Amino acid sequence: MTDTAAGRAPRKRGGGPLSSERKWAWLFLAPTLIGLAVLSAGPILATLGISLTSWDLLTPPRFNGLDNFSHLAADHRFWVALRNTVFYTVVSVPLGMAVALAIALGLNQAIRGIAWIRTMYFLPLVTSTVAVGLVWIWIYAPQGGLLNELLRTFGIPPQRWITDPIWAMPSIILMSVWQGLGVSVIIFLAGLQSIPQEYLDAAAVDGAGRTARFRHVTLPLLTPSLFFTGILGIIGSLQVFDQVYVLARPGKPTEATITLVYFIYEEGFRFFRMGSASAAAWVLFLIASGLTLVYFRLQRRWVHYQ
Amino acid sequence: MTRRRTRMVGLYAMLIAGGLVMMLPFFWMIATSLKTRAEVFGAPILSFPSGFHFENYAAMWSALPGVTFGDFFLNSLKIATLTTIGALVSCALAAFAFAVLPFRGRGLLFALVMATLIIPFQVVLVPNFVLFRSLPHPFSSSGNWIGTQEPLWVGAWFGGAFGIFLLRQFFLTVPSELADAARVDGANPWVIFRRIYLPLSKPVLATLAIFTFMWSWNDLISPLIYLRDLPDYTTTVGLAFLQGQFVGKWPEMMAGAMVSLVPMVILFVVAQKFFVRGIAISGLKG
Repeated sequence: MTDTAAGRAPRKRGGGPLSSERKWAWLFLAPTLIGLAVLSAGPILATLGISLTSWDLLTPPRFNGLDNFSHLAADHRFWVALRNTVFYTVVSVPLGMAVALAIALGLNQAIRGIAWIRTMYFLPLVTSTVAVGLVWIWIYAPQGGLLNELLRTFGIPPQRWITDPIWAMPSIILMSVWQGLGVSVIIFLAGLQSIPQEYLDAAAVDGAGRTARFRHVTLPLLTPSLFFTGILGIIGSLQVFDQVYVLARPGKPTEATITLVYFIYEEGFRFFRMGSASAAAWVLFLIASGLTLVYFRLQRRWVHYQ
Repeated sequence: MTRRRTRMVGLYAMLIAGGLVMMLPFFWMIATSLKTRAEVFGAPILSFPSGFHFENYAAMWSALPGVTFGDFFLNSLKIATLTTIGALVSCALAAFAFAVLPFRGRGLLFALVMATLIIPFQVVLVPNFVLFRSLPHPFSSSGNWIGTQEPLWVGAWFGGAFGIFLLRQFFLTVPSELADAARVDGANPWVIFRRIYLPLSKPVLATLAIFTFMWSWNDLISPLIYLRDLPDYTTTVGLAFLQGQFVGKWPEMMAGAMVSLVPMVILFVVAQKFFVRGIAISGLKG
């Protein structure tokens, strides 16, 4: 890690410009180090500590060992939250990637007006979930909602969507895929544009058709982009909160839509059970780091770097 | 030639149709926000409004006692601006140290910062709340930072994995000969940072600024946890609160959603290339 200009320069022990640069480095890093210690890395350990206590913030925390974890294991609502989060991840990540890939392939054209067309696909990604969530509630409204009205023209009977135990989660997923599509499309577009045209031309000369070129040239060279959108999607899915908060109101989210982060929010900041919230947060931490680790391990099997 | 032409027309038609589907929620938001409530339920679903019923916007703007939606706007603007400045300063300093300055443990420390990138920040929600609850605050009714806007932006001044990563990647592409030449002339790291690296980094700093501003503007869970009083609300919590007041009043609600989206939409249309570049850079180098 010392392959920078300064690292290559002749080193002197003691004084000299480099040892002073070292001091500068720590000065430059001071805010980040404080942040790591008290706001991000450090608090992960604090979360573990708090998870071993019973604490309502009003009275001092009381050590209760692993009670919070055994309560979680017996808490039906926690398991529902976990199951919903898994369902959300397993459905929304592949679905979002597939749709985004199709769109990126379509948008990867040097045609007139393409910038304007792309803007239409990218726009949802800058919008706040609260604002677009309101529109989607209205789209899903059982009476007068856009979706039911459109379905009616095809003779399909109206559904209750977000208030229906079965349709609630798919409804939230549809909105999230719509909103998050732009990120994956941009990453895929960048990936597609980095594929040398010669490879595709060479394959065409060898008689590869459109499908064969996609299957054997484009797709393998796109695996780094697929890998990256995949990890972004998984991390994002584990954090789903805004959609649930907005769509599942008024009234508390039913069991059909409660997610892990919503569960943490509810335990910690509505019921003020800090120990229990921290235990659930620690479970989230383990799932996130475990999944990332496995995902990076599997990378070798299917990701090809040029 | 004609076959090629047919293909082109087909492609355009598909791309534009898909784009219109993506935009449909926005069209419907705008149309509903201009309709009367009678029209919303009475007229055919995709009909145009009978006129521009801007009274929905007025009703939404001052629906809550003592505050207007403009106050929420100013709060969001203040918090997002302070967040953005803090992220730019702290991330640029750290990224410069990681990219240019030699020090022991650099690889390990950088790995630690990157590890925080994959950890959902909700994991540390409780300890952060406890921390801000223990800090004294002179102007807060609770005496601590809970119920103030400070917890929403102060954290950004202490670095962030995304920003450090984005800027470090860029700093590494600056030829090291520039810094070496300055060192020979006796420049210290601050001068090298200020005179050489920062002026070259305007596009990537703009990218980080835009993303940070957007995340701050759109954030829901933090304002929900830290803010107590209506006058302190940001547009997101304000809008979520309005949602409870306007049950079934779709035109007013859509007007609220419209107004809260406008700043981000303008920012996006003006700075689309920075958005795209930011996502593409961090994506490809990820």
